[in-house]
Amino acid sequence: MTEIQLAELSRVLFFPVTMLLYLVAMGLYLYALAFTKVDRAADEPAIAGTRALRLGTLVAAIGLATHLGHIVTRSLAAGGRVPWGTMFEYSSVMGFLVVLAGLVVFQWRMRRPEVVGFLLLGSLLTMGAALLLYAEPGPLQPILNSHWLKIHVFAIMLAATVFTVGFVFNGLHLIRDTAEQRVAERETARLTGSTVGAAYGGPPVVVENDESPLGSDVERADAPADLADGGVRGPADGDDDRAYGAALRATISPWRLAAGTFLGTSVVSWVFIPASPTVEEGVRRFLGINLALVLAALVAWWFVAKLPSAATLDSLAYRTIAFGFPIWTFAVLAGAVWAEQSWGRYWGWDPKETSAFLTWVAYAAYLHARATRGFRGRGAAWLGIGAFAVLMFTYYAVNLVVTGLHSYGGLPG
Amino acid sequence: MSRTDSPLPPEANPALRRPSDPGPDGPVGFVLASLRMAWRWLRRMRTALYLLGALGLLTLLATVVPQFPNVPRTVAQWRSGEAGPGRFVSAIIDLLGGYDVYGSPAFLALLLLLFTSLTACLIPRYRAWWRVLRRTRPPRSRHLEAQEQVAVLDTAADPADVHAAARRVLAGRRWRLRAPDADPDLPDQVAAEKGHVVREGGSLVFHTSFYVLLIGIVLGQLLGYSGQVGVVEGKAFTDTASGYWTSTPGRWWTDADHRAFTLTLDEFHVDWYRDVRLGGQPRVFLSDVTVRTEDGEEIERTVGGNDPMVVEGMKIHQLDWGYAPRVVVHADGEVLYDGYLTMSAAEGGFYSGAVKVPGADPDVGFEVFFWPYAPEDDDGTPQLTGAPWADAPYMVLQEFRGDLRLDAAQNVNTLDKTGLAEGDVLALRPGSLAVLPDGVTVAFPELRRWVGFQVSSRPTAPLLLTGAFLILAGLIPALYASRRRLWVGAAVDPASGRTRVTVAGRAFQRPQAFEAEHRRIVASLAAALAELPPSSPPPADLRPGDAPTEVVPR
Ligand code: HEM
Repeated sequence: MTEIQLAELSRVLFFPVTMLLYLVAMGLYLYALAFTKVDRAADEPAIAGTRALRLGTLVAAIGLATHLGHIVTRSLAAGGRVPWGTMFEYSSVMGFLVVLAGLVVFQWRMRRPEVVGFLLLGSLLTMGAALLLYAEPGPLQPILNSHWLKIHVFAIMLAATVFTVGFVFNGLHLIRDTAEQRVAERETARLTGSTVGAAYGGPPVVVENDESPLGSDVERADAPADLADGGVRGPADGDDDRAYGAALRATISPWRLAAGTFLGTSVVSWVFIPASPTVEEGVRRFLGINLALVLAALVAWWFVAKLPSAATLDSLAYRTIAFGFPIWTFAVLAGAVWAEQSWGRYWGWDPKETSAFLTWVAYAAYLHARATRGFRGRGAAWLGIGAFAVLMFTYYAVNLVVTGLHSYGGLPG
Repeated sequence: MSRTDSPLPPEANPALRRPSDPGPDGPVGFVLASLRMAWRWLRRMRTALYLLGALGLLTLLATVVPQFPNVPRTVAQWRSGEAGPGRFVSAIIDLLGGYDVYGSPAFLALLLLLFTSLTACLIPRYRAWWRVLRRTRPPRSRHLEAQEQVAVLDTAADPADVHAAARRVLAGRRWRLRAPDADPDLPDQVAAEKGHVVREGGSLVFHTSFYVLLIGIVLGQLLGYSGQVGVVEGKAFTDTASGYWTSTPGRWWTDADHRAFTLTLDEFHVDWYRDVRLGGQPRVFLSDVTVRTEDGEEIERTVGGNDPMVVEGMKIHQLDWGYAPRVVVHADGEVLYDGYLTMSAAEGGFYSGAVKVPGADPDVGFEVFFWPYAPEDDDGTPQLTGAPWADAPYMVLQEFRGDLRLDAAQNVNTLDKTGLAEGDVLALRPGSLAVLPDGVTVAFPELRRWVGFQVSSRPTAPLLLTGAFLILAGLIPALYASRRRLWVGAAVDPASGRTRVTVAGRAFQRPQAFEAEHRRIVASLAAALAELPPSSPPPADLRPGDAPTEVVPR
């Protein structure tokens, strides 16, 4: 096969083949979730539609195979280099890794198939954004041709994948937590006539004679939240799951959720307007991306009763982001080493570096918030979402727009 | 209730606050009290969070606003309103120091605050960590049954033997054990902990490595050097204070620190993909150089984009390149100008530069435009393309006459045209020559290329690398190590006369993983207990060494 044929095959494998497979798999996972009966005592939304689930797993696995095929053919079409040299390529690999993590880590290892549908959704969004940035495969600029490309960009990609998963959990957590708290508040109000907050926190812990809690916040810091997998639930309405589910959903207005999501995601996605060939095309892309994200938020809302408890989602988000943070740290440091190799200075505060640092600070702030009283829970989740917005800014905006302002003097992204 | 789950904020937690001494009164007392308050504020994690937020905001500003040290030209355009959000907004940005965020007083102040806050919170953390490191008594538990993980074993062995066995099992798994209690009133109990030293230690290493980075950066700026110079093929430059076009010496860098080597650019290799699909994408970008050190040693080497060369501790990078056409200007048989223009590509693929000849009467200057690939079409007109390969070089010169005012500082590549009169336009191919009406001739005898090199000395690079390594080395245990506690309490059950062993534990992180660990520990303990002799004559139905049975699996 010629390189041009390979490139064509690779493109078809990406779209429509893999994206369609993921779409079908996502449908099957969500279908299975829809018929899941939540055993709230165990906090294990034991997925009921096992046949749909198994089929979904199969389709997702086939999707992973065709996605891998796309990545390999693309790499060959580009002359056998690593398949992460352009924005399209690393967005595509990220979409692959998100699904891989969903199947291997969350479904197989952690036995949480109920989140996989949402991860497929996250992957589809990433891949959709990749399509907008499609570029034909080609060889690398000589300046990019270095071992550090493999190390640095791969680490960035990996960390961004992990953060994408963390974002999915943060988003689900926000919706679920809001619903839980509102139901609990209503219950408390009904029972006591006041609206003073619902109980939130881990089980009581008795430790005697603790000679020295480390520092100010440390010892107290992460104990309850990570322990509190049992989570919080509406106090009084324990019997009827259907009613509880309906109550959860009823606490959030889909219109306001949609409008809020649209406004929120616009903050970053506007960059597609100046980055597009024409303004109309840009507006189309902008609307496409935002409406897709609004749809995603509505899907999460629809399934709010089937989600793991807010405490579980919080813990999943925290652990995911805590896993990604050292990888991002390593990636940024490796980038500095590469910059010294290739441009003769390890740090120059150019927009890409500055913004990678900003992402790092944002996630560090999330980790701190998670350990700070008063920021726990939704406050931290918002910080996590903000950090992801910064990551997206680093990933897309800096290449697309800041380059457009000519301040990114032709340096590779 | 222990401090661990105190519902009070840290400030209200009496155990965390040192007894406040009233201190002196009056203004001194006021200042001291304010300082103490500031220190306490800086010690709060929430403060660190706000400071990180402020750092984030400043950095965001620096990402979207062009920074003077990086792109001075873009900043000039923003300031003049030629590009960017307009002059008014630009003036506000200037006022806020937004064009040089990392050199602005606000950034320095924030950095100072961050590091003060870091220090303020690290001192007590180090103290506490030191105490944990040295403590021989991990805390006891009063209510074993109330812990997260509880298992109860039943055995015939003596409680003291059970405790000894538990110590052996836990020590074998490298748990820190509580030294035996001197107080006879306390019921006997084995208390152990794990992960505390590593987790907090990692966090301390992580946070402390910021100081290493800070020192590395500051020292590096004081001691370091970097200079940039363009070298035309076949020419050379020497590493001296005046040998560079631009340089940024550190404050403690002296001229004597230069290594005084000479670098000759023997040949520059550049090539592109020329097919339609990839047209113009560069493929090769390499410089063959010869370096002669002061001692006369000669080194031949090829320097590439990711492949710098090190000479006596100075790093030589190939940064950029351009075309260097040679231009010769004659008048009355006398050479007025003979030099290589070091031109950089502008957008659109053409090159621009300037020739300034003060010796003519009046001064003559040329604005020079150069296309590497301008083939002639059928009727002989040059087709100006943006292709970078020099297969059909073509040069256009616009003549200007008048006072060039060369005594004022000027950019070599641009001509200040104020007060100059526009003259003829000349077009040249390599090897050709043009004659102006007054007999001045302009020749384009040959085309070479030039390479921009950077020579730098970064004496603190190893320190910075160490700091980077420490960040990671600290971060990983700080995030992944889990702190857990375990207690084993054995007591004779008066009813049955047998020994009831409670194995209780709790993890501050990753409870699921701890559940499995607890199960394994209980199993090893059960195995160890099976080896123990019974304490007293066993009841008739039990043989010595009877395997203990788990009573309350949880
Ligand atoms: C300025 C004063 C600072 C204070 C008072 C502070 C305090 C703390 C504390 C108490 C923890 C432990 C939380 C836990 O156990 O989970 C922590 C963790 C962390 N800090 Fe800071 N920190 C400061 C500065 C910074 C800075 C400048 C950064 C980098 C942007 C940073 C990044 C982190 C990260 C990533 C963690 C999580 C890793 C860990 O648990 O140790 N910190 N910080």
